[in-house]
Amino acid sequence: MFFRNFFIFSALTLTLLGSNSLSKEIAIESLLPKDFPEGWTRISGPQVYTQKTLFEHIDGQAEIFFKYGFQKSVFAIYQNGNNSKDQIELDLYDMGNVLQAFGIFSRFRGEDRTAGVGLESNLGDSSLLFYKGRYFVMLYATEADAVILKKMAMTISSSIPDSSPAPKEIESFPKEGLKPGSIQYYPEGLLGYQFLKRGFQGIYVPKDQDKGKRDDKSETKVEVKGEDIEYYLFLVILKDSKELEDILNTFRDTLSKRGKVDSEASTPLGSKVLKGEDPYRGRILIVPKGNYLVGAAGFKNDKEAEDRLAELIKNMK
Amino acid sequence: MSSEKIDRRNFIKRATSAIAAMTATSVLRPDLSFAKTEKGSTLEYRTLGKTGLKVTTVGMGVMNCSDPAVLLRAFDLGINFYDTADCYMWGRNEEMVGKAFQGKRDRVFIQTKVHPKEEKKMRASVERSLHRLRTDYIDVLVWHGHSHPEEVSDPDLYEFMMKMKKEGKVRFTGFSSHSRMASLLREASKQNYHDVALVSYNFTYSKDLKEALALAAKSGIGIVAMKTQSGGYRKEKMGGLNPHQAALKYVLMDQSVSTTVPGVTTVEEIEECAAVMGAPFSKSNVNELKQYHAFLQERICTMCGGCTGECPNEVPYQDFLRVAMYLDGYQNEFLAKEVLAKIDLTGAVEQCSECSSCSVICRRGLDIRSQIQLAQQISA
Repeated sequence: MFFRNFFIFSALTLTLLGSNSLSKEIAIESLLPKDFPEGWTRISGPQVYTQKTLFEHIDGQAEIFFKYGFQKSVFAIYQNGNNSKDQIELDLYDMGNVLQAFGIFSRFRGEDRTAGVGLESNLGDSSLLFYKGRYFVMLYATEADAVILKKMAMTISSSIPDSSPAPKEIESFPKEGLKPGSIQYYPEGLLGYQFLKRGFQGIYVPKDQDKGKRDDKSETKVEVKGEDIEYYLFLVILKDSKELEDILNTFRDTLSKRGKVDSEASTPLGSKVLKGEDPYRGRILIVPKGNYLVGAAGFKNDKEAEDRLAELIKNMK
Repeated sequence: MSSEKIDRRNFIKRATSAIAAMTATSVLRPDLSFAKTEKGSTLEYRTLGKTGLKVTTVGMGVMNCSDPAVLLRAFDLGINFYDTADCYMWGRNEEMVGKAFQGKRDRVFIQTKVHPKEEKKMRASVERSLHRLRTDYIDVLVWHGHSHPEEVSDPDLYEFMMKMKKEGKVRFTGFSSHSRMASLLREASKQNYHDVALVSYNFTYSKDLKEALALAAKSGIGIVAMKTQSGGYRKEKMGGLNPHQAALKYVLMDQSVSTTVPGVTTVEEIEECAAVMGAPFSKSNVNELKQYHAFLQERICTMCGGCTGECPNEVPYQDFLRVAMYLDGYQNEFLAKEVLAKIDLTGAVEQCSECSSCSVICRRGLDIRSQIQLAQQISA
């Protein structure tokens, strides 16, 4: 038994050490293609940026990359040999780990189509974004050409050795009603609340799109700002039970001051739930779940929000 | 992402430290009055230069914000000036602004940006911005990231902006800059091309920039200040120090500045910023900024130009600093050697080595001597 455990421990240690040293050894610029696709030439770069110099490249937007754990990045420009105006700008960011890479990716992607590259990707009119492992990649073409963008993205993706899986929390979000490409990870300030710190959020389209229909139970005196009918499910990652209590208390205080807290907050999800109204987000429902707080915001139908949250909780492993 | 970058730096002008002068009466008291101040109960307005727009002195830099609730809170607080850009989050940022302010468009001023390209692409960019912002006009459209005086006076760019105005897509135009700002502002002051200038400005910047801002404001250019808190919200990394209100107040003491666009991401942050309007700059604020300045010291050469001309031997130490930045920051020895090859350093290394101590003083506390030594290592 001892030898078996020792063997497993040693194998794990070697694997971890191996992957760590591997990632440290890789020069980020080596992940870039030199002259690809055929007929294209690298005309600028690779230019490596660090935490000290990223600002020189992308000005104030560097701040958001720092929030997501930016380590370093590399930039290059490729040019079509047949047309000097046809260029692709490439930024490849090392974000430290897959969670942070997903996080920054999630802030940039739109609702456009997926490109089938990396762990997740997003193809726009003249751009392609994807993340794989700890890397986030942005490709921008001066002349729109999805085929070339995909080819280049595939090549880069295959050169990235990090095979970390996507953050597990993503799979917890119920699929039904989920707006494509809407799950985001925030390292702080989830839902625009400073006290919520880090977590995930996803946008949902209500089952009943009719604004006129409203659950009687959710009638409220607080005027809800904004007219959008979409709502959020969110998942806050906590350190421990103390932090959970602190955040619940702060949330309760905030709702009391700015909106309202429902006096009767019992739901099928348990008795320790917080329900109320925020003037900017609408109806709020929060449920503790282990080292997470899960919740819904901006919903019109309490029953639907409870059902979705129940599914989210069920999906959490 | 723009491919122009490396030469955005090197904005070199003789200057003196703003932080050193912070306690001086002339700084504590607004002594320039190009922008009219109107105080309400909690809001403070100034006129945005020749545009005539009455803007709240605290606006909002939307760049890193992804939650419409924060924008709605800012709106309810009375803030009426919002800065976004076509490239922020690759357009997602403009989409959020458009969505949040639908139905409120006539009560907010929206500033967005365009990158200098051929006209067809610039026009397409403006159209995309209008679509994302859910509006048929942009209040202020600025060229993104000018860094050379000739860009500020480019007649082709000016012509395009005039077309946008005539077509009713844009009300006012201007430029933004992160580097060589004093030179650009002086150049802009000579012409009648720009209504607005969006520039980095905070308590760490030089007197030279302050003077250039005053000149530009006097010429009618509305000044919008960004990077007002010199690094944003990093409370936890500064031992609980929260100097952000003090930093914002410092910028607003300068009456050349019409409005500010601090970058915020949460409801709490925008409330903190909004509370600055009309609030006096106190002695405790001075102390907070001194501590903040100490925190920022020794971190990085920002090429602010504050030390220009201070070497008695006229050693081109700023070239050394560039080399050091390429070495230490970019980790690119090739680039560093390329810079060294282009400049005549004959004798400079020896001259520099002869001094027992360096007379060049960095206002941020950067050890210039060690930076030069780093560069010298590869020039040897």
